Amino acid sequence: MEDILRLTKICKSFPGVKALSDVNLTIKKGEVHALVGENGAGKSTLMKTISGAYKKDEGSIWFDGRDVEVTSPKQSELMGISIIYQELNLIERISVAENVFIGRYPLKSGFVQWGKMYKDAQALFDEFDLKIDARRLVRSLTMAQKQMVEIIKAVSINAKVIIMDEPTSSLSTKETESLFKIINKLKSNGVAVVFISHRLDEIFTICDRVTVLRDGCYVGDRDISDITKNEMISMMIGRELTQQYPERSNAIGDVVLEVKNLTDGGKSVNDVSFAARKGEVLGFYGLVGAGRTETMRMIFGIDKKISGKVLLNGTEVTLKSPRDAIKHSIGFITENRRDEGLFLRSSIRVNTVMVALHKILKHGFISYKKEKEVSEEYVKKLRTVTPSINQKAMFLSGGNQQKVVLSKWLFSDSEIIIFDEPTRGIDVGARREIYQIINDLVGNGCTVVVVSSDLEEIIGISDRILVMHEGNIAGEVLKEDFSQNLITKYAVGEGA
Amino acid sequence: MKSNNLKNISAKIADKLGAWLLIILIAAIMLFTSDKFLTTTNMINVFRQIAVVSIGAIGVSFVILGGGFDLSTGMIATFAGCNTALFMKNFGWNMYFAMIVAILIGIAIGTVNGLLITYLKIPPFICTLGMQYVINGLVFVTTKSVPITGLPEKFLKIGRGYIFGFFPVPVLIMFLFVIVGHIVLKYTVFGRSVVAIGENETAAKLSGLNLNLIKVAMYSLSGFCVSAAGIVLAARLSSGQPNSGADLSLQAIAAVYIGGTFKGSIVNTLAGALVWGFMNNALNLMNVNAYWQKVALGVVIIGAVLFDTFRAKLASKSID
Ligand SMILES: Nc1ncnc2c1ncn2[C@@H]1O[C@H](COP(=O)(O)OP(=O)(O)OP(=O)(O)O)[C@@H](O)[C@H]1O
Ligand SMILES: [Mg+2]
Repeated sequence: MEDILRLTKICKSFPGVKALSDVNLTIKKGEVHALVGENGAGKSTLMKTISGAYKKDEGSIWFDGRDVEVTSPKQSELMGISIIYQELNLIERISVAENVFIGRYPLKSGFVQWGKMYKDAQALFDEFDLKIDARRLVRSLTMAQKQMVEIIKAVSINAKVIIMDEPTSSLSTKETESLFKIINKLKSNGVAVVFISHRLDEIFTICDRVTVLRDGCYVGDRDISDITKNEMISMMIGRELTQQYPERSNAIGDVVLEVKNLTDGGKSVNDVSFAARKGEVLGFYGLVGAGRTETMRMIFGIDKKISGKVLLNGTEVTLKSPRDAIKHSIGFITENRRDEGLFLRSSIRVNTVMVALHKILKHGFISYKKEKEVSEEYVKKLRTVTPSINQKAMFLSGGNQQKVVLSKWLFSDSEIIIFDEPTRGIDVGARREIYQIINDLVGNGCTVVVVSSDLEEIIGISDRILVMHEGNIAGEVLKEDFSQNLITKYAVGEGA
Repeated sequence: MKSNNLKNISAKIADKLGAWLLIILIAAIMLFTSDKFLTTTNMINVFRQIAVVSIGAIGVSFVILGGGFDLSTGMIATFAGCNTALFMKNFGWNMYFAMIVAILIGIAIGTVNGLLITYLKIPPFICTLGMQYVINGLVFVTTKSVPITGLPEKFLKIGRGYIFGFFPVPVLIMFLFVIVGHIVLKYTVFGRSVVAIGENETAAKLSGLNLNLIKVAMYSLSGFCVSAAGIVLAARLSSGQPNSGADLSLQAIAAVYIGGTFKGSIVNTLAGALVWGFMNNALNLMNVNAYWQKVALGVVIIGAVLFDTFRAKLASKSID
């Protein structure tokens, strides 16, 4: 096959960070090309130089037969490059269809043809079996649905190269399969796809070639058929990775958190009851929209429950707000780090201490010295890639932002911690560190609830798994019965 | 490469200095155009002129940092000034007692603003606009639209007096407010929380901050600061003037934006007020007609914010 896109010796620096140095990348027509590397390796930055969101310092870009200078995202789109950014970029207050066709509404003598727009958008979703109503406001969609809207939007542009920066990080197996169907169709039409993901299995399923980056440098490229997973990992992190799921020795004790008949009035959660024990990792698996996040939000006091009870150590508590929940030593790491977790314009240090401000007080006033010590400790512990703790959260790579959110809750000394997609966007190496942190937490007698759409992960870290389906608990799987088959069966509602 | 470095450094300096750069600019120009500019008397004059606005603007800074808005401050200030005068003159109250009660009323009004905005979800702009009219009406009812004069000499000292024979009392009060405001913003949980809420309300809520309490408190604080400003103003004018504070709301907001308080320091608010003060002073010294002065000041507000965006761009360019 002939080449469609060639990047040669691309360099790009930010203050204190050399994000890319002499990076090469060659993409062929009709191939799915994986780009892998640790958090902060420079993947997103490289893609942004192609799309024109960043200006490269040095290097050249060759696209579709000629050298090009990309000056703006609009221009790259016109040239035939479309991109799905790592973070969602939809406008929340308008409909799905408007988002898909934004900037290119169908017009007839100057007027928007609303009917046609809704119909065209709906046709795109129906084509791939996506149950999303094109007339709905984006605001009312789940993270995964929003992600699918981004994907459809990028696909509908008729580009020659489509860049997908971690499109699957908030998707569960089922949506990921839909995405793969879309990618296969693109491929058969000769469209090239650049696919970024930290889930290496996906890369072996869908990709033809892979390029590896490390610390902003090009490490190499390979045919997927010529490389094993372990080889890929050692190219990425420069060493062998020992055992992905570290051993843990936790003593499971009494019930700490008990939820009884939780209901939000038939919207997404129906009569959910479960109990979590001291020292236990309780996993929640389910397809997108199964009601896992919604359940956790109610427990944490964000959304109002219609009925149901929450008991802590056997006594009923009323948690009307996150503040109440935090006072009862519950922590909640939300899946949407940008909107719900981070203060993007604030520094790492400000973000790290936000939940537990009282812990850095000295004589009633904030101690900048303590703040510095704490945030440096967590940067080191989680190996956050940053020039300094004063860096604003907005300038961190996606995975490193996630680490800042984790630090915030780890510093808060919660005894019950709910992780909603804790490793979203986190690289293989760092993932292991997060699993280790979870192990340490339960080892110290905390209770951990993990919501994850990554089946392998949930099996790897849980002591027990609850599977949700359409707002109900569809099944409980004990450690000795863990199997992908059984869990998937429950998740699609075919269990027992 | 060298010239590039120079550009980077100058961009960084511009970013650090912010509104102070504007002040330096005005001062530099004035040094060459007027020999009256750089005299102790003139400098003290400028500070005296901005004292009232700055005191109020400290409170307004918190509201704006917290993502709110307060248009009622001018009237709350006027009300506090007139109330203090009334209490002393008509009720024969002791000066301190009168001031405390007037300030408490101001805090109460601010609190009502805060409660309406947080619990009844009225947009801050509309709520405080309405409140401005309500208080304006009350001022006219209580004063019958007549200035209250003949205030005790001791009270006038607050606005007109000097300590050590040269340092104006209102300027001293202003510095006190700036320093305390700075400490509250930088070193207290409340200050942190205000900034967090202004930046991302959802994340602030999910981090367990007491959103409602903090939001109400920031309007109460605004009520407190502007009431103090109103009292200083009344003392400076030697009377409770029902029409005195009308401009204060917008001037305080302007100070916050010109100063670029968003970059995280209350001292910037002072810089913002100083830009305004120096600009006024410069135009006076150059004998610009008062109407044109207004035009020029308006342009400065827009210009300062533009300049800020430009500066931010320059700084981020030096990044790329
Ligand atoms: N706008 C920016 N300003 C400053 N530094 C930045 C900026 N964008 C990225 N960086 C830095 O450049 C490096 C590369 O970031 P990039 O986002 O490309 O990483 P990534 O490979 O996509 O990582 P992830 O897997 O976490 O998404 C990181 O160290 C990051 O902190
Ligand atoms: Mg990235």
